Amino acid sequence: MTKRKILLIAAAVVAAGVAAVAAIPRAFETSVVTKDVNTPLSADQMKQLAERGAYVARVADCYACHTAKEGPAWAGGMPFHTPFGTIYATNISPDMEFGIGRWTRAEFHRAMQDGIGKDGKPLYPAMPYTSYRQMSADDVDAVYAYLLTRAPTRVENRKNELSFPFSIRQLMAFWNVVNLRRHGFVADPAHSAVRNRGRYIVDALAHCGECHTPRNVMQGMKAADYLKGSVIEGVEAPDITKGGLTRMGFDPLTLARFMKSGLSAQGSMTNQMFEVVHFSTQYMRDEDLQAMAAYLFHLESTPKTETAPPAPTPVSIPTQVADAARATYRNLCAGCHGADGQGIPHVAVPLSTNISLRLASPRDLTQAVLHGIPAQRFPGLERMEPMPEFAQLIDDRAIADLVNWMRARWGGQQPSVTAEDIAKLR
Amino acid sequence: MTLQTKPLALTANGRRVGPVDVPEEIMMLDFLHEYLNLTGARMGCGQGICHACTIIVENEDGSLSEMRTCITGAHWFDGKQVRTIEGHAKYDANGNLAALSPVQQAFIEHFSFQCGYCTPGFVTAATVLLDRLKREPVSRAELDEVVTTTLDKHICRCTGYVRYLQAVRDLVLKTPGLLTG
Repeated sequence: MTKRKILLIAAAVVAAGVAAVAAIPRAFETSVVTKDVNTPLSADQMKQLAERGAYVARVADCYACHTAKEGPAWAGGMPFHTPFGTIYATNISPDMEFGIGRWTRAEFHRAMQDGIGKDGKPLYPAMPYTSYRQMSADDVDAVYAYLLTRAPTRVENRKNELSFPFSIRQLMAFWNVVNLRRHGFVADPAHSAVRNRGRYIVDALAHCGECHTPRNVMQGMKAADYLKGSVIEGVEAPDITKGGLTRMGFDPLTLARFMKSGLSAQGSMTNQMFEVVHFSTQYMRDEDLQAMAAYLFHLESTPKTETAPPAPTPVSIPTQVADAARATYRNLCAGCHGADGQGIPHVAVPLSTNISLRLASPRDLTQAVLHGIPAQRFPGLERMEPMPEFAQLIDDRAIADLVNWMRARWGGQQPSVTAEDIAKLR
Repeated sequence: MTLQTKPLALTANGRRVGPVDVPEEIMMLDFLHEYLNLTGARMGCGQGICHACTIIVENEDGSLSEMRTCITGAHWFDGKQVRTIEGHAKYDANGNLAALSPVQQAFIEHFSFQCGYCTPGFVTAATVLLDRLKREPVSRAELDEVVTTTLDKHICRCTGYVRYLQAVRDLVLKTPGLLTG
C-alpha cells in the first residue's frame, strides 16, 4: 500500500469519527435555558434591564475580554493563547452583521449558559459559559439588554488559529457533556443570603474559578481542586480558598478592600488581576465585595473589623546565603522597599507583608525580580512606580540567594530555589 | 545607634578611592556627596523616578551603563569604575576647563536646559546612548524614537525636553559611525 493511500484511509477514518462524535453529544446535551426566554422582551423591559445590566456586565467583566487592547469597545479581537492554539474574542457590540445585533433573547441565553452560538455551533470555553451557566436568567437578560444599548462596531471577527482536531467546533459539544454542570446556581438554604450572594458572584458572574481553579488534561476545571490556584500565562493565579487567602495574610475586610482598590499591605494587583480590578472589581458595590469575601472565608457575614492573620514564622537559612542576599537587598532593593521591607506608600509595595513571598511557588517573586513590573495606576488617583528589571544586573546565583532569603525571612518559606530555577525563568 | 560599616573601594572619574569604611546601608548618591564631595549628581525624588541622580558605570567590556544612585547602595559600586558629571569635561594640567564633552557642548549650543537641575542626568543618558550607538548603530528612521526612549525616563520641569532631544539628535547626526547606511 502506498503512503498516499494510507493517508487517505486515515483521513477518511478521522472524518467518519468526527461526524459520529459530532452527532452523539446532541443526545446528551442538557440545557439550563428555559423556554421562557423564547418570548422576546418588550422595549420597556429592555430599557429597565439595561440599567441594571451595566452593573452585571461590569461584575461579569465582559469588556476586558471582548475589547482588544486599545481597540474599539466590545468589538472583540483579544487573543487567548491556549495549548491548542489561539482563540479570538468575538464582537459583542450590537452590530447587525458582525456583532450580536440580530441575536434573539433565547440565542443570547444559549450562548451564555449552554455555550452554543447563534448558528448552533458550540463556542470554545475560553468564553466562560462554564461559569456563566450559573447566572440567573434575570442577570443574563440584563446583560443582553445592556449590550444592545452599546454603539455598534463594524469589526469582523478574527478567525481562530487552532490546531486539528481542536479546530472542529462540534467536538466542543462532546467536551461540554463531560465538563458542564448539569444545572444552574442553586442557593444553599443552610447559609445566609450574604454568603449565597458571595458564592453566586465568585462562581457565576466574576468567574473566579476560570483562572484560580486548576485545569485537567481536557482543560476542564478540576472540581476537586476548586479555587486552589493555577498558573496562567507564566504567573500564579494563587490559591484563594480560605486556607490560601489566610496564608497570604488576608482577612475578609482586607480582601474586599484589595479587590476594590488593587492595593493593600499584601501588595499591588499585577498582571491579569490588575486588569480585573481596572475593568471590574473597582466598580463593584462594597456589599458585593464583602459578600464574596464572606463566602471565600466560609462566613455568613463579613466581620466589622480587620483582624490580620499572624505573620509567618521566619525560616532560618545558611549564613552564607543570608549574607550574600542581605548585601544584594541593601544595594538594589532597600532604596524603594525599605531596609525592613516596609516599602514607600504610593511608590513601592512593602515586602514584609507581600503575597508573592508567602506563596508556595517562588515564580511570581522571581518574575518580578527578573523582569520588573510596569508603573500601574489604581483607583483613587493612586499610582505605583515601575519596578526595574534586574535580569541584566544580577546573576542566577545571586537572584536565587535573594529570593530564598526574602521568602524565608518574610514569607516563612523554605529556601528551595536554585540558580537553575532562576535560569529557566529568564 | 552605631551604623555597621564595610570597606568600599572604587574608581571615580579615573581617580582611585578607598578602601574607606562606609555604612552598609548608605546610598551611592550620599556617598558621592558626603565622602567624595562630588555633588553634581542630584537628589531629586529619592525614589528612582526622576533620574537626576544617574551616573555612568564603565563596564569591564568597555561599554557604559547608566545607574540611579538615589536607590542603589554605595557598596553595589565596590570595585567598579564610575563617571559622574564632574568627569565628563577635559581639564588642563592646572585644573582649568579645556573642553566640554560633545554632549555638554551640544546642550549648551541648543539652550537645552534652564534651571539645570536635571542636566547631569541628561548628560549621563545621552553619553551612554552615544556609546551604545557606536557599537549598535541604528537607522536614521529609528533615531528620533531611540533618542526619545533613552531620554524619556528623565524628568525636566523647565520645558527642556524638545531642546534636549534636538541636541542629542543633531549630535548623533554629525558624529560619524552612529547610524547605519
